[in-house]
Amino acid sequence: MQLSGKKGPSPAQGPGRGVSQAAPPEVVVDFLRNIMPFNELAEEKLRQIARHVRVDFYPRGTRLLTAGETELTHLFLIQQGGVRSYIVDDEGEVTLKDYRGEGSSVGALPIIRNTPANLNVETVEDTFCFLLPREDFLDLIENQPGFAQYYLKNFSEKIVNTAYTELRRHRMGRRSDEDLLLFSLQVGDLVKQKPRALPADATIQEAARAMAEFRIGSILVHRPGESREIIGIVTDRDLRNKVIAAGLDYSEPVARIMSQPVIRVLSRAVCFDALLTMMSSGIHHLAVEQKGQVVGVVTSHDIMLLQGNSPYLLFKEIGKQRTMDGLYPLSRRIPDMIRNLVIEGAKASNIARMISILNDHILTRLLTLLEEEMGPPPLEYCWLLLGSEGRREQTFKTDQDNAIIYADPGSDSERRAAEEYFGRFARQAIDHLVKCGYPLCPGEIMAVNPRWCQPLSVWKEYFSSWVETPEPRELLNATIFFDFRAGFGRTALADELRAHLNRITGRQEIYLLHMARECMASRAPLSFFKNFIVEKNGEHRNKLDIKHQGLAPFVNFARILALRHNVNETNTLARLHVLADEGHISGDLWSTAHAAYEMQMQLRIVHQLNQIDRGEEPDNYIDPGQLSDLEKRMLRDAFEVIDRLHAVLKLMFPVV
Amino acid sequence: MGNFFRSLLGLPGPHPVLIDNRNLFEAFDQGRPLAHYSFVVCDTELTGLNRRRDEIISIGAVRIEGLQILPGETFHRYIRPRNIDPNQATLIHRITPEQLRGVPPVEEVLPGFVRFCGDALIVGHFVDIDMHFLNRAARRVLGGTLSNPSIDTMRLARAYKEARCRDYYGHCDQSMSYNLDELSNEFHLPRFKPHDALEDALQTAYLFLFLVKKFRHGGIRTLRELYRAGRTLGLVG
Repeated sequence: MQLSGKKGPSPAQGPGRGVSQAAPPEVVVDFLRNIMPFNELAEEKLRQIARHVRVDFYPRGTRLLTAGETELTHLFLIQQGGVRSYIVDDEGEVTLKDYRGEGSSVGALPIIRNTPANLNVETVEDTFCFLLPREDFLDLIENQPGFAQYYLKNFSEKIVNTAYTELRRHRMGRRSDEDLLLFSLQVGDLVKQKPRALPADATIQEAARAMAEFRIGSILVHRPGESREIIGIVTDRDLRNKVIAAGLDYSEPVARIMSQPVIRVLSRAVCFDALLTMMSSGIHHLAVEQKGQVVGVVTSHDIMLLQGNSPYLLFKEIGKQRTMDGLYPLSRRIPDMIRNLVIEGAKASNIARMISILNDHILTRLLTLLEEEMGPPPLEYCWLLLGSEGRREQTFKTDQDNAIIYADPGSDSERRAAEEYFGRFARQAIDHLVKCGYPLCPGEIMAVNPRWCQPLSVWKEYFSSWVETPEPRELLNATIFFDFRAGFGRTALADELRAHLNRITGRQEIYLLHMARECMASRAPLSFFKNFIVEKNGEHRNKLDIKHQGLAPFVNFARILALRHNVNETNTLARLHVLADEGHISGDLWSTAHAAYEMQMQLRIVHQLNQIDRGEEPDNYIDPGQLSDLEKRMLRDAFEVIDRLHAVLKLMFPVV
Repeated sequence: MGNFFRSLLGLPGPHPVLIDNRNLFEAFDQGRPLAHYSFVVCDTELTGLNRRRDEIISIGAVRIEGLQILPGETFHRYIRPRNIDPNQATLIHRITPEQLRGVPPVEEVLPGFVRFCGDALIVGHFVDIDMHFLNRAARRVLGGTLSNPSIDTMRLARAYKEARCRDYYGHCDQSMSYNLDELSNEFHLPRFKPHDALEDALQTAYLFLFLVKKFRHGGIRTLRELYRAGRTLGLVG
């Protein structure tokens, strides 16, 4: 029986009986219950090990461990106070490794590996520690699922999920009670009936009859005699537009009006994936595939029915606008929509993709209307998106970064006409974009700046000169311009510029070397301590600049390697993925970097959404005091990944 | 009261547990390193502060060995006083007179506590008060007093603060409070709930550990040095 004073005696169970010498120490149990990974232990186990825990006190400046010497007899769990760990190399150089505070442990690795201490550890404050005997700790490592992974840093899927759930649950207020099913429902769940198909040589009328009979809005088309080989799809809209409106004979083969190829989506994909596919391809019917077989069709309507404040409704509404005024308020609805997606469990990379799809859609609609208003352009052109827009990594704070590239004029008069038209076009476009809620770029990297509204040949010269004479300003340009992609207009112009860039960077190792040097000059933070972020030199700051300190190293790393290996993708994760596929980075580095990058993007989006909720301007400065222990831990691991990226660069450019 | 007088008066000899207790301290050596001693940090809750009339209603204690607290080795009992006065200050301890009627009397609790203390030194905050009531009860029910030397964390705290003031400022402000709660705040110790014998004992144990290790920057090695530093030597019994 436990006789802790907290309960006080009760008449039914009078105090004073029982063996109170063996009472589980409440102070220890309470502490362990609130720290990872002990919080996963069953109550009985927790109480059992709590009995063996001792408490010690170490005044500030006490050396707890000496690298290579101290044999660990117990694990230190910091109840109050803090420690720093460091190593001293042969030349006496001291390198700070970490700060740890309340709830952290010291000495786990040496115990697990059965070695003396691997680091020097000393207290930086008066520190009380709970000491868990080595044998008890090893028993937990061997017999409790999750313990070894936690201390060896192989985060299980479960822990990672916990981190994301924590982020959503504790940091995000739910605006509405509507249950979004986008992330819980799989595409296969939406399939209402087995797929109907008919051969490509069937007539249009047969197709329409079958659709009427089965009460379906679309029918699949297979190769004659090969009922499993789906080659196209016919929808209600095809019948209206391609047959009735066009006056086509009903006895024509259905192959004449079918759309192809049929885009497929895996049956176990979540509906959000299907939605992204539909929105980025503009196709409303997807064939659902299971084990290589088409098992049904889902439509944008099926998915729209799942949600109220839906990305798809917004997407459709943007496309419907006939005036530019109508577009102005629409982008302001993006944050609310994103909030729902975050709460529902969308990963940051998907959210960024969704944001860029919507922004692209607004841009496309706006420039289409503007072209209609101004009349056709004298030359082909392409509206380029740069920087984070170019990488499809915008969040809510999206300054405009854009440019215009147009076909080389054949004559002076053509040149003058182009300058006049595109100058006017850019001014109006930028003005409308501001009214849509995209602020001006403070560095004036916008199409309205004559320098950034040029024919293809001039752009090629720009790129060549930046690559050949790498000055600090050129390096800055590179980080913005080299992430360009086509936003609207003639994509081939952007493709040609990309091909040019690939040709010249391939020849200019020196340029990449400068970029690598620049990239490695920014050092990742080291750790968290209490409500501070700790730099490698031991300095403390009270804010984390997650964009520049946390995310930029990944972006820069991916850009350098993409340029070096002629990867045309601009999105950071997509670049890393291709680099891994082609064997330029290890699969392990890819998955680690992916997780670390995604985690930080998620933190940033949640941070900015909360700022928007409070009516503040979204920024990139995160207060460590607002982070949970798990979030700090994940971030800390993300910082370590940055060191790995730098090591890869160092290997690649040894002189850096 | 010595054995001689007890036998003269025809009273029974001391309780065996007390004889054992006395034997443990026959050759008590103050010269050993602090970490070689056991300490039992204890706190008693009383019906009041009248040294003749009031009684112990609970004892909480925790052991320290090797200068580390053993939260798994605690003693915590409620005791039924001989006079249960419904108007007495028992409410502060969250114990009602009703509840006290259901717990054992001091006769049944004290021998267990003496055994729990064993050869340890008894540490308490204002320990003289605890020792007074423990020994008064021990004389009545065990026929003698405890031989365990005691250490007062209040006096230790005062000595520590005086020394620290001299180190830093050359003078000392003695107006400070020395109650357990305020000292724990001042030294930023982890906090326990007050007015519960065991929690207060744990709080005192944290204070004791803090003082012993902070005093003279850890320069106190033996029990004798600690006594000198704190001028708290008080062999009871």
